[in-house]
Amino acid sequence: MNEMEFENKVRSIANGMEYPRTPNIAGSVTTRLRTRTRPRFNSKALVWSLTIILVLCSSLMLIPPARAAILEFIQIGVVRIFPQSVEPTVAPIQTPAPESFVPVTATSSSQSSNLIPILNQMAGKTTLVEAQDKVEFSILLPAYPSDLGQPDYVYVPNADGNMVILVWLDPQHPEKVLMSLHFIPNGSWAIKKVEPKVIEETKVDGDRAIWTTGPYPLIFPNGDIQFERLINGHVLIWAGLDVTYRLETDLSLEEAVRIAESLEPIP
Amino acid sequence: MDEPTLIQRAVNGDVTAWEPLVLTHQQAVYRLAYLLLGDPDDAEDIAQETFLRAWKYLKRFDATRPLRPWLLSIASNLASNRRRSAGRYFAALTRAFRDEPITTATVEEKNSQHTQADDLWKAVQTLSTPDQQIVYLRYFLDLSVTETAEVLQVAEGTVKSRMSRALEKLRHIIKQDFPVLVEGHEA
Repeated sequence: MNEMEFENKVRSIANGMEYPRTPNIAGSVTTRLRTRTRPRFNSKALVWSLTIILVLCSSLMLIPPARAAILEFIQIGVVRIFPQSVEPTVAPIQTPAPESFVPVTATSSSQSSNLIPILNQMAGKTTLVEAQDKVEFSILLPAYPSDLGQPDYVYVPNADGNMVILVWLDPQHPEKVLMSLHFIPNGSWAIKKVEPKVIEETKVDGDRAIWTTGPYPLIFPNGDIQFERLINGHVLIWAGLDVTYRLETDLSLEEAVRIAESLEPIP
Repeated sequence: MDEPTLIQRAVNGDVTAWEPLVLTHQQAVYRLAYLLLGDPDDAEDIAQETFLRAWKYLKRFDATRPLRPWLLSIASNLASNRRRSAGRYFAALTRAFRDEPITTATVEEKNSQHTQADDLWKAVQTLSTPDQQIVYLRYFLDLSVTETAEVLQVAEGTVKSRMSRALEKLRHIIKQDFPVLVEGHEA
């Protein structure tokens, strides 16, 4: 049996699969949306899992190092944050970055005037349309502020993943970055974010989000890229369904959340 | 009313517009969850959660794209997370005791289409989760390569290469543990 015959056989057998009758998902979902009740999990397995998790967590909390790790560890999407001086769980950078990727260097306020050359050195510079073609997730743009417009720079670094970076320049000071928005898809990039000075919990669209202030050494698990911020401001991190978002801006928390909640697909 | 119009109405908070979309896609979502989890109650939980999350994040969905791959992608991620939980282990353990041994099945039963499908499912369950996902999407739910690529958020070429590797592993497992499935074709 060649590959195609085997494939056809598998498909033919799979077509005979007997499934349980599909329950009335639509009715349940719409009822829950209308009543806005908390999700109801009725499976015994979930009850068991919650019980076991509770027992495990309780046991771990009795061990001081484990308790410390649990308490000091915050995860938002693929971004992991250590509020205190905790060693990152990845090896320090040992291998050089791929030639196609120029690491973004941190920009302090005194370096802002030199930012544009740095942006020009970043790998993966592209257009919004091309970027959307390269990635499977939807690239979203802030609808707020209404006069923001499209980003001035778009990057798809394509180093072991399809992260997208959008950069807007400050119209009053075009040599400075107004804000940058990073789209980090699940499964391709995992970032360890270490020792921010300030961490504040907030909400984006009702979901937990983190508002931090640097320093921001971000180390990728492949160990070859150190990625630091573009702006001497704050970073808002929140997770969507399949993408973690990272908004760098020197605007206020309220403004940053408003921008985050205004994200919409490219018109 | 077409799908993009219903989505747009749903984005604006119209639950009645969301209901027909759920009705259209609930079977595929439920079946994928059932294939991945093997438990009807868990599959129902995941299917409900899929549509609730999709509703919540709908304004971020590009309405010009087909809805089904996005929903299946959400369901697949939720089901995979559920599988990783400790509860899955005990549920699987319970099922293992509840299930009858394969050897008790008669020859006649083995020849039935449903039993064959059930054996194929058992064989697929021995694959890694990514391999299972691709086999379920392509052969059990009959998605195209393009749709599968959208669900898994990878390029179509990646789907083809991963599918080829998964099929090779599956063929090996079937030959070894479920030879009746390809009897008459392979000695």
